[in-house]
Amino acid sequence: MFVSIENLSFSYANTKATALDSFSLQIKKGEVISILGRSGSGKSTVLRLLAGLEKPSVGKVSIQDEVLVDDQTFVQPEKRGIGMVFQDYALFPHLTVADNILFGLFRMKRSAKQTRLQEVLELVELQGYEKRYPHQLSGGQQQRVAIARALAPNPHLLLLDEPFSNLDAELQEKIRKELRDILKKANITSIFVTHDEKDAHILADRIVKIKNGQTEFIGRPCDLIDVYRQEKQSLPAVSEEKELIYT
Amino acid sequence: MQRRLANVNIWTVTAMAIIAALFLPNMTIVTGLFTPSNENWEHMKEFVLWSFIKNSLILVVATAGATIFIGLSLAWLIAQYQFPFRRFFKWALILPLSIPPFIGAYTYHGIFNYTGVIQTTLRDRFGMELNPSHFDIMNLPGAIFIYTVFLYPYVYTITQVFLSQQSASLIESTRLLGKGPWRTFFQVVVPISRISIIAGASLVILEVLNDYGVVKYYGIQTFTTGIFQTWFGLGDIETSIKLAASLMGFVIVILLIEKVLRGRRQYSYSSTKVRPLPLIQLTGWKAVAAAGYCLSILALGFFIPIAQLIEWTILTFGTIPLDEFMSYMRNSIVVAGLSATAIIVFALIVGNFARLVQGRFAKLLPKLTVLGYSIPGAVIAVAVVTAFVALDEFLAPLYQLAGMNTTLVLSVSIILLITAYIIRFFAIGYSSIETGYDKIGTDFQDASRLLGAGLTRTFLKVDMPMMKGAIISGFILVFIDVLKEIPLTLILRPFNFDTLSTKAFQYASDEKIMEASQASLLIVGISALAIVIFYKFLEKEMD
Amino acid sequence: MNKLIYLVLAFLLLVLTACGSNDTSAPATEGASEEAEESTEVNLYTARHYDVDDELYKKFEEETGIKVNLIKGEADELLERIKREGDGTEADLFLTADAGRLFRAKDDGLLQAVSSDLLNEQIPENFRDTDQMWYGLTKRARVLVYNKETVTPEELSTYEALTEDEWNGRVLIRGSENVYNQSLLASFIELNGEEEAKEWAAGLVNNFARDPEGGDRDQAKAIAAGIGDVAIMNSYYFGQMLNSEDPAEVEVAESLGLFFPNQETDGTHVNVSGAGVVKSSQNKENAIKLLEFLSAPEAQGTFAEANYEYPVNEEVEPSELLKSWGEFKEQDISLSALGENNAKSILIFNEVGWK
Repeated sequence: MFVSIENLSFSYANTKATALDSFSLQIKKGEVISILGRSGSGKSTVLRLLAGLEKPSVGKVSIQDEVLVDDQTFVQPEKRGIGMVFQDYALFPHLTVADNILFGLFRMKRSAKQTRLQEVLELVELQGYEKRYPHQLSGGQQQRVAIARALAPNPHLLLLDEPFSNLDAELQEKIRKELRDILKKANITSIFVTHDEKDAHILADRIVKIKNGQTEFIGRPCDLIDVYRQEKQSLPAVSEEKELIYT
Repeated sequence: MQRRLANVNIWTVTAMAIIAALFLPNMTIVTGLFTPSNENWEHMKEFVLWSFIKNSLILVVATAGATIFIGLSLAWLIAQYQFPFRRFFKWALILPLSIPPFIGAYTYHGIFNYTGVIQTTLRDRFGMELNPSHFDIMNLPGAIFIYTVFLYPYVYTITQVFLSQQSASLIESTRLLGKGPWRTFFQVVVPISRISIIAGASLVILEVLNDYGVVKYYGIQTFTTGIFQTWFGLGDIETSIKLAASLMGFVIVILLIEKVLRGRRQYSYSSTKVRPLPLIQLTGWKAVAAAGYCLSILALGFFIPIAQLIEWTILTFGTIPLDEFMSYMRNSIVVAGLSATAIIVFALIVGNFARLVQGRFAKLLPKLTVLGYSIPGAVIAVAVVTAFVALDEFLAPLYQLAGMNTTLVLSVSIILLITAYIIRFFAIGYSSIETGYDKIGTDFQDASRLLGAGLTRTFLKVDMPMMKGAIISGFILVFIDVLKEIPLTLILRPFNFDTLSTKAFQYASDEKIMEASQASLLIVGISALAIVIFYKFLEKEMD
Repeated sequence: MNKLIYLVLAFLLLVLTACGSNDTSAPATEGASEEAEESTEVNLYTARHYDVDDELYKKFEEETGIKVNLIKGEADELLERIKREGDGTEADLFLTADAGRLFRAKDDGLLQAVSSDLLNEQIPENFRDTDQMWYGLTKRARVLVYNKETVTPEELSTYEALTEDEWNGRVLIRGSENVYNQSLLASFIELNGEEEAKEWAAGLVNNFARDPEGGDRDQAKAIAAGIGDVAIMNSYYFGQMLNSEDPAEVEVAESLGLFFPNQETDGTHVNVSGAGVVKSSQNKENAIKLLEFLSAPEAQGTFAEANYEYPVNEEVEPSELLKSWGEFKEQDISLSALGENNAKSILIFNEVGWK
């Protein structure tokens, strides 16, 4: 498997409740995964753990058989080769679009940097916006800059935290499609977190549903629809619910 | 704590070293708490301690209240409204900080006393029969007035920087929800600026607790007077350290309250949607009132005392030797510049550490460094000299190796003085930097690290540029404070080292306030220049 | 961002160059180490801040070639610094404006005995420490000043008389944190015992026109303002007011009279400025030379003229102004008593509520 997540658990300091309990997932290269859940369900915690922004209490994460975190290892976020698009984009307000994107390319040669910049700008269709500052862009444009910035260093894995929450409904629909195109064109393995089922259905190859830190469901979008049909007919008991978990 | 600390490495080590170095001298004072009390302590408790505490409390509470009111209202006016001379007031309102409170106290007394300009004018011009006690400002309310008009800029600057960088949408949305300006102010502005208000107010409180010049001259007995009385008068350094330690305990309580009030809430702006607030144009009487309010505060805290100092300078010009003033000026600027630079660098390191570690204890650790600000300068001086003499003894073999036949090297150098300044004023720089860190939050840092930048690169490329405002305002505040500092400079300076403030103090302490005016004016002039230059620079950068 | 860096760099550069050119006033360290034998300097810790002192040091340098290095500070802090610096201290001479502090320096073992014929000749015995640890240089009297319109000199007699009922609400004096007041009370403890001294303090507090505030000059101004009728203050402050650059201050001083109390009894309270050689001084000879210079007629005359202090050297006449106030009888006690009783006087101040 390209990305392997085993038994990941986490609880925040000063609280007793577990934010995430024994989360496991195997991801193929190029696959788009959606983690679905309400706010506070622990879905964003998964991203932070993968990115190395938090340290799990137990569990193991590896990409292409290289261990990022387990009992002995903890690879610093900057060494993981994982890109992330933050919910509020976290574009550096003091840098232009170009400088934001170039930020992660500091190890490249000058000419290579410019080529890569143009590539990603083209990918997100923002050529000509290099000199703008983030606050001069619309919400959709900001998001595309954030994606371009995260993609520029060629990460193994792209994480997107609620990519549509800051956009209005009309824009959401359009961007969803754009995003899918971008992800597929870039052929990048990605995980995005959302609370909106529509997002998940349209974008994801597979969906993971999380509730209170527990994994409720893993499967293709169509499987999830089947689950709902059953639920409507007869509310599943706890034991049945467990059977639904797809491994 | 473990979780993040594991990632922190060199930053942790450096930060811990700085915290330890800044805190160690204060340890000598903390230990004072645990010494058994002697008869002097019992005597203090019986006769005077209660009135010390009462006076200190009144001073602190009243000054804090007044400075918050003035500082916050000014910050809000400047951040939200357009009115005549707003751009001028924006930086000019910091100017009162350039006047050392003890000079302010002498000056205002000079204005109000029997031979002062007010009473003489009323008597001679208008032939009025006056009751001089109505003009007496040498009392508790007078001291509160002095502290307020010269210290409010702490609250004003920190809050103003904070507000001006707040997202416009936050304020606008409140207004769109149908709240008028007053309700917006109390229901949104006050709560969101709470951190900066508290940060500014605690600086004011610490400054008031520490001050000796004003209360001594105005005949008000406070905790600090008590410390000096037992130390110098009774020659009982143990009891005085016990008092200093109690004062420190009081400060720790204030710091804890601040921490609790701040709580877990974070008001960081973590998005790119930070648009500067569009200014609301005031017209008619409202514009006049706004400008008038700013002007009257500025007059009380700056123009009036300056006018008096200028008059005195003219009266005494030529009666005191001025040929050495260039070197006093240079000395002042050098020590203030070096100390401010060092403090800001240290504060950035410690602040970054505080932001990165988790766990309550670790978060409180940097707060320890603030304690130096609560201890009267003279007490810090003794602690620092003791520490340096020990260090010199430790290094003595090295000195011998270098062929020197003296045992004290560091203790008689300028490093002693600068170290003491750093301990004393770290709180000011740190407060500013901490607010800056609070404001940018950790999202940008996370983003930067996921783009492959390590902590140091992140710090240089992301944190520093985003905190420019905080860095500059912190630098100015420390610079000005060192410029006007008195007890440390007096005691710890090397031979033949005079600064403008020691010169001003020399005359003032001998009740020659008029002769002190030249040096005072130069202090004010340099501070004011620093404020202007940095603000012009900042404005350019922001455009 | 780049601009910020340049600004900081430029600033640091400025600071460094300024530091570099600072060696004109370089402290004693290097000099002392290299030229310890020749010893062409003397290091002075002084609590006197007068410009006239600086002029005298300059003159001393010109005459003897010995450079005077100075740290000016408050007496108690300087003492503490010498104490903490221990044997390594650079200080050679400690100069202060109160006998009580000189006593404390001696008591703490910070001074050493020195003597010279010249010193013994120039400074009368009662202004020298019995163990030759310190020498008085100038005298200042703590006198009464009164409102010429409401008080006649005949009504005034002693410090003690100010505690009587007729002075209720009319007496002005500064706060008890001031060392001149502490020494005043200490002298009463020496003369009359603790009990009587405390009664006096309590009686005076009872007659205060207002809570103590401000310095000595402020007490004089309060008389002019009509807040009280009589004040206790140091003689030289009154002299300075009479010669002030501020016409209003001169006017105030001129409306007041000066009175030497206790002339019929034990004399007016007198304190001294004085100096002692620090125990571990490395430039002892130079320190003695400076002491001799400061007590010689020329320097003594300067103190009297410029600062309205009374010279200790009996060959030197006080200034015209001081002479116009007349001669007076001084308290006849050992000045060391001021230091010995200092702590007691503070406790008494606290107990009687003298702020």
